[in-house]
Amino acid sequence: MRLFRSILVFTAVCALSAVALAESPAIGAAAPDFQLTTLDGKSFSLASEAKAHKAVVVMFISTQCPYSNAYNDRMRDMASAYASKGVVFAGLNSNKNEDAAKATSHAKAHGHTFPIMKDPGNKVADMYDAQHTPTVFVIDPQGKVRYEGRIDENYEDPAGVTSPDLKNALDSLLAGKPVAKTMTKAFGCSIKRV
Amino acid sequence: MGRATIALLFIFGAVPLAGDARSRLAGEIDVAGLREAVARERGHVVLVNFWATWCVPCREEFPSLSRLQERNRVAGLRIVGVSTDFEKQRPAVEKFLAERRPAFPNYHRKKGGDDQAFIDAVDPSWGGELPYSVLFDRSGRKVRSFSGKLPIASAEREIRKLLASR
Repeated sequence: MRLFRSILVFTAVCALSAVALAESPAIGAAAPDFQLTTLDGKSFSLASEAKAHKAVVVMFISTQCPYSNAYNDRMRDMASAYASKGVVFAGLNSNKNEDAAKATSHAKAHGHTFPIMKDPGNKVADMYDAQHTPTVFVIDPQGKVRYEGRIDENYEDPAGVTSPDLKNALDSLLAGKPVAKTMTKAFGCSIKRV
Repeated sequence: MGRATIALLFIFGAVPLAGDARSRLAGEIDVAGLREAVARERGHVVLVNFWATWCVPCREEFPSLSRLQERNRVAGLRIVGVSTDFEKQRPAVEKFLAERRPAFPNYHRKKGGDDQAFIDAVDPSWGGELPYSVLFDRSGRKVRSFSGKLPIASAEREIRKLLASR
């Protein structure tokens, strides 16, 4: 299955002339660490944030992608709701065609107060083999990946969501229970790589 | 031209869509409807193209898809377009079609249901990125998918091979 997925990913990569040969980290494996500067000039280290929180949600997002934008309010609300529970959300913009100024104004317009970083050269997207926006990864305090995939199954209608996968994963993690659904297929716009 | 002649021309694909039909949505479509649309064209080679008005590469490739359809209509190619725009963008979809007048019918993805299920039902390897095209042979068998803009020259060679096989 993993091989099949890799073949499919490779096909898509060829079609998009993208370079992303790494596989996404396996569930339970160490999340690739990265250090970046947030849009407001602060340093962000995944390893440090993971140790300091009960979970880190790494989200590959976009300013232009309608799928990603459909989740703007859900990202804002979840980041706010889970902050008090010890979870930090972090947005990564890996698209080469969306600069820091665009990302900053987009964050301001949508009330995204969680840390957001540009991912120069889409290096972090490559490390995580993230192909679409939005794609989310949940990292536990040990720096292990506990969930990968979509936020939920219904981008168009938040009220019609029947499978709130990210929420379920976070709730399980916070309750000390196993995450029932550790992987879902992320869908959305392709990440515009260099 | 008699009715029988017109009917025969439609059956053999010699008559392109009427101008008015080109500029309107052919209807709403879900997974079952899409399967039916492809099944209705059995005997033809079918290319289903998923697009959206907000998708720049989709808009860019639209004219080349129309030309591809025109060049291969008589031989038996049928292109079916599916807009995946959100429901609130439907007016933009209709305006786009009115302006572009594509040479193939276009549907709007029906609102509701599981978005992921729709994507998976179309092609498990699809991640929802646009444009995305799926090619079916004359028997209705899925042959392959194209992520991103269709490489027209190589895709047309492949389509013509399929058109040549009966």
